[in-house]
Amino acid sequence: MNDLAIHTQGLAKFFGKTRAVDGLDLKVPRGSVYGFLGRNGAGKTTTVKTLLGLLRPTGGSAQVLGYDIRRELVAILEHTGFVPENKTLFGTLTPAQLVHFNRGYFPKWSGKLVERYAELFEIPMQTPFAKLSLGNKTKVCHLLALCQGADLLILDEPSIGLDPVITDLLLRVLVEDQVSEGTTVFLSSHQLVEVERIADWVGIIEKGKILLETRLEDIRQNYRLIRAAADTAPVISSPDLVAVQSSENFRSYLVSRQAEDFAAMLRAKGMTILEILPVSLEEVFLGLTRKEAPCISGKPGTIAALV
Amino acid sequence: MYLWKAWHDCRARVALYILAAVSIGVLSGLEVVSSANFHAFLMAYMAFQRPAGVSLAVFNHYFNSDFYMYITFSALRGFVGYGRPLDIATFVAGDWAFLVAYGLTPALLVSLTLGTTTIGREYDAGTMNFVLTRPASRRTFIFTDWTVGVTSMVIIVSGLVFPVFPFLYVIHAKGPGNVLGSLPGLWVLGAAVYGLSQFTTLVAGSAPKGLILSLAAVFTYSLLPVALHEWWHTDALLRLTDWTLRPFDYWAWPLSPFDWGATAFWLAAAAVFLGLSVLWIRFREV
Repeated sequence: MNDLAIHTQGLAKFFGKTRAVDGLDLKVPRGSVYGFLGRNGAGKTTTVKTLLGLLRPTGGSAQVLGYDIRRELVAILEHTGFVPENKTLFGTLTPAQLVHFNRGYFPKWSGKLVERYAELFEIPMQTPFAKLSLGNKTKVCHLLALCQGADLLILDEPSIGLDPVITDLLLRVLVEDQVSEGTTVFLSSHQLVEVERIADWVGIIEKGKILLETRLEDIRQNYRLIRAAADTAPVISSPDLVAVQSSENFRSYLVSRQAEDFAAMLRAKGMTILEILPVSLEEVFLGLTRKEAPCISGKPGTIAALV
Repeated sequence: MYLWKAWHDCRARVALYILAAVSIGVLSGLEVVSSANFHAFLMAYMAFQRPAGVSLAVFNHYFNSDFYMYITFSALRGFVGYGRPLDIATFVAGDWAFLVAYGLTPALLVSLTLGTTTIGREYDAGTMNFVLTRPASRRTFIFTDWTVGVTSMVIIVSGLVFPVFPFLYVIHAKGPGNVLGSLPGLWVLGAAVYGLSQFTTLVAGSAPKGLILSLAAVFTYSLLPVALHEWWHTDALLRLTDWTLRPFDYWAWPLSPFDWGATAFWLAAAAVFLGLSVLWIRFREV
């Protein structure tokens, strides 16, 4: 059995001249919690839809749970729970009726889990879906995905509308009930704090390409931010360099490993090392995806940068 | 599963349509009986009168009122033939044929509206990504909708026509006779129109837009041949349209055999629209 739950090779999806996904290479290990991060329009939802057959790829290839997305879609859907970005289900049906509709598709459906999660998430099971609040709609979407006995959960913006208590419950359920049973969780989200809390792998996508794919533990242990000062910025080239941020005479270097060696190289080029700091997922994300934004006065690079 | 959902979505409408259809059917039966009695009365009255000029005028006046009703109800026919039922048996056949002809419009409306309560409207509702991520082949959604919708349409249309049966036996021992063969024509036309509406709803991604598109297609089919005939004096399309609607021609058919050709045409049309929907959903992205 393939040890990757999701594996894409050069996956592409174009809409006319717009390259929504442009040669994406993803490797999502089975049994992991994978945070799939990116800015608005980076290509996250397009990737998810392509993996689930809602969009046809323009190029490249992809396997989900070892099944080819072009030829074995029904097999993929049998083993994959999906919470869509828009959290919209049939408006006239109650959650209880939605459960009735959904359970027939999944042989491993668990009625016991339905009862448990309905109570845990405080879902009004007899209210028509259209009359539910956004938070309750999100809960129902999760209920349907969590109870189908999936090998892979693809959750697109999973915490939209949820209060902190339910968000906390959901994250615990994902880890304690699902991942502990071998389920892979693929989280497409903007909520970096949530991803950082439960993910063990992250992938950061920008303009349809993967910028970074690594273990979260690797970020914690090896990624460092090196702040340095110099009158003139030397040209730096290193495979360990992830991102550079400039602010007048200061430079911030985000490196993926061997920060001390990198700092020594900077010193050798005449720079003064101010500090070497561990970084959070948010700092890595911003370092990779942030544009050089003008400050309110219009002068570039004067905003206090995280990186 | 989806079968349950498809039935859940249209059951209220189907129940309402069946109730309306049976009510109209019963009222039509009563109308047939009263009409036949009046016809018999006129025959007796005309036999009594010599010469019959005035009474014939009266007869034609009442008789033509049926034709006016036919014109009112018929969505597809632009002209009406004339004839004179001379005995009760022919009258029964004629009235039955009339019922089938007036059943055409309800059958069309039922098929058009039921065709919009199908998977195509899920685009507009924002639920298509949920439906299409259920582990089932996409064509099963189309086939399921089609099966539920066409079965409902057949029941509704039959509910419109079958209640008239007992009344026909009341006025004549022959009852509906060979004209019963017209009903399958109505079913098959309904299936074709349902398929059209299902397809346009799928293409438009919305029930109201799909209904507008399918109505436009029906009116184009009905009016374009007449327009070509009037403006460009081209009869080919008009002849084709007339041929396809022969099973629903008030006058041509009560004494004619079952029209296999036109029925096969609508059966083929139903299959084509079903095939188009299957192809469309296969390649449609969400």
